[in-house]
Amino acid sequence: MKISHIQHLYHRVGFGISPKESLLLSKKSKKTIVNDLCNQSKKVSPILLDVSFLDDFTPETLKNPENKMLLNKLSREKVNSFSVAWFERLQHPTEILREKMTLFWANHFVCENNNIVFVQQYNNILRENALGNFRDFVKKISKTAAMLNYLNNKQNKKGSPNENFARELMELFTLGQNQYSENDIKEAARAFTGYNHKEKGEFDFKINQHDDKEKTFFGKTGNFNGDDIIDVILEKKECARFISEKIYTYFVNEKINKSHIDKMVDVFYKDYNIEKLVHFVFVSKWFYEDENIGIKIKSPLELLIGIHTIVPYQMEKSQQIILLQNLLGQVLMRPPNVAGWKTGKYWIDSNTIITRLRLPAVLLNNAQITFSEKGNEESTINELKNNKLERKTYLKVFADWTSFEVNFKNTSPEEMISQIISSKINAGTLANLLKNLHHSKKDFSIQLMSLPEYQLC
Amino acid sequence: MKRRDFLKQTTFVSGMFFVPHFLKAFESFPKKTFSNKKLVIIQLKGGNDGLNTVIPFQNDLYYQERKNIALKNADFFKISDEVALHNSFQPLQKIYNKGYLSILNNVGYPNPNLSHFRATDIWQTASDSNEYLQNGWVGRYLDFIEGKPYNAIEVDQALSLMMKGNTINGLAITDPNLLFKSMYEPFFSNLIINYEEAHLSDHNLGYLYNTLIDTKSSANHIFEKIKTKNSTEEYPKNILGKQLKTISEFINSGLETQVYYASLSGFDTHANQPNAQSRLLKMYAETMEIFVNDLQKNNTFDDVLILTFSEFGRRLKQNKSNGTDHGTSNNVFVIGKNIKKQGLYNSLPNLADLDANGNLKHEIDFREIYATILDKWLAVDDTSILNKSFSKLNFI
Repeated sequence: MKISHIQHLYHRVGFGISPKESLLLSKKSKKTIVNDLCNQSKKVSPILLDVSFLDDFTPETLKNPENKMLLNKLSREKVNSFSVAWFERLQHPTEILREKMTLFWANHFVCENNNIVFVQQYNNILRENALGNFRDFVKKISKTAAMLNYLNNKQNKKGSPNENFARELMELFTLGQNQYSENDIKEAARAFTGYNHKEKGEFDFKINQHDDKEKTFFGKTGNFNGDDIIDVILEKKECARFISEKIYTYFVNEKINKSHIDKMVDVFYKDYNIEKLVHFVFVSKWFYEDENIGIKIKSPLELLIGIHTIVPYQMEKSQQIILLQNLLGQVLMRPPNVAGWKTGKYWIDSNTIITRLRLPAVLLNNAQITFSEKGNEESTINELKNNKLERKTYLKVFADWTSFEVNFKNTSPEEMISQIISSKINAGTLANLLKNLHHSKKDFSIQLMSLPEYQLC
Repeated sequence: MKRRDFLKQTTFVSGMFFVPHFLKAFESFPKKTFSNKKLVIIQLKGGNDGLNTVIPFQNDLYYQERKNIALKNADFFKISDEVALHNSFQPLQKIYNKGYLSILNNVGYPNPNLSHFRATDIWQTASDSNEYLQNGWVGRYLDFIEGKPYNAIEVDQALSLMMKGNTINGLAITDPNLLFKSMYEPFFSNLIINYEEAHLSDHNLGYLYNTLIDTKSSANHIFEKIKTKNSTEEYPKNILGKQLKTISEFINSGLETQVYYASLSGFDTHANQPNAQSRLLKMYAETMEIFVNDLQKNNTFDDVLILTFSEFGRRLKQNKSNGTDHGTSNNVFVIGKNIKKQGLYNSLPNLADLDANGNLKHEIDFREIYATILDKWLAVDDTSILNKSFSKLNFI
């Protein structure tokens, strides 16, 4: 397989690849490489944090409101630790495709919660099902404590329905806008009544709160429950199309090519197997066409982990990564709302472009970073005292230049340009780069990663 | 280039900046500005307890439901036979007496959400409570006027959803000098100077370079204007004071910015509310007094409207920790010289008519306030910005 195609594949399936590894792979065929990628992701490695602090709280002690507030506070902090653990997982993934798909689903089945038990369970369900069967996946999501809380299905009861989940199930999770009527939402909501969960997050179907009368949904009438509704939705080919388009946007191009999508829908609609669908994309010829290479704006996470692929780094204070994610506009575990992050050009504004271009210098060259500590909706007045509108700091980052030197040992400066940058390069910028070929590889790599061109993959 | 020079570039050591003229070619100004009026938006983050801010001191239900935290006579000052304001608001009394303050009560929206982040999201995007938008109402205002980033400024280092539009985003900035300096690092200048305008098309690479150019042009505009004006007023040394000082300098310098956004957090008073809220309201009121004075001295107050909101109010019934829990509708403060309805815009909430969760019912949809401001103050088509038509109010 051509080196440039291997790089393209790995930019999209993962976060990039070192020249040393791509050279090794170049002896293999496309099919073998894609099969290997899928096989390496068969395993599921959940992220599990120590949550033993919860044992200190009992139903008895929680009657005291102050204990309850303490629990909430500790749980929130643990969610931040989970966010950090997830980031570190992305830095060192063993199942690369699975992790990239987990990130995809986290911006599809968007959810936020401050209960660490629910958050952990939810995130690992995304990971387990990332390459599995979409039908099972949706059904499992509908029963998670995190989602039952986030979209209020917990409050959806016989006689007093809450339509929030039913609406977003169709609008955001399966069909997209304008594919259903308001009446379909009402009827679907009735089918999801009685869904609830226990304290540790296990699904709890409260039969007394379930509306077991007949419902008419998408022209079908029956005594439907939530799973039945999902089955009826998935009978619609629009569902396979909706997901295929979203996956195409994520892995291939934001400009939809209808004939490519049609083929994806044919593959996906058969049995809603996610792995088969992405495998089909990665072996297709069109995936490697020039118009699809080096044109996607990297998400903040793709940018942060992409730099790590070139120069591995480790933050001394691990929570500082949240600060960087915040400045870049994408904090893991903290989506803006259930519609998720808007991607592509929407990652870029005046502030994020500056932060992005300075990022390699901040991470690898000890450049100063400025951030604001205005606090958020959950901050307390006591935290306010030391807050600063503008705080300048240096992040302590351990950059592993030794690995970089090994990986780029046989790469010439000219080759470094094509190894690190996959987009077309503005002529004036390229002319400047060519003048700088005599710089050390270390400096030159930072220079390359600081370019607007590096924002693309 | 020598290694040392390159390191300077990549670490963005400042002190090397210069002001080249090549940029003039790239600079462009907003195509349409409809009004020279300014809007300053302030969010009291965490959910300010409106019932202990604008106090129904004649209402028995207020005292019954708030045995420990109801304010006593010594804690407030009366503005009518039935209504009083928290003592911390005393710095606002002059503003109030001059008729520059309008208090809108019972502001909310149907099916209120009690989560901080979702409620903030609803206020920032101006969505229905069952609708999820990915851009903010100020961002859509920028889209509408085909503005530049500096037309809407948030005093922060990262931009909120409220300020993000479909085609254009506002600018987050805490210090114009810092932004200017970083944009005049040789690294950025080199990138921009070498970018051919012919390629400024709508593909992604072009978009990235364009954003950089726009940022530099905004940094320029702000820096050029701002260097003439430093505020001489003594603002409180707290985080809101610093934000409003920056905003006053921007306004008084004649910056072509229509919307500013600042915030103060800490209002999530689940426990031991009285002291915490008192300190926060004092910070707010003191800052506003100085801000208004500052604008008046510079003859800019006529063109400024200040809108203060909180993502929700708090429940009537206090909790067991001498605090209050998340509620629904709340009061909104509008400060300006040309307020039509001074003082109380409408009557206080009916404490006997609560929703199923014991929360206040709303009377004014917050988007009616936005629609009014967009239409009457910023002179733009509110319907296309809010994606819907809302009835207008009479406060301006």
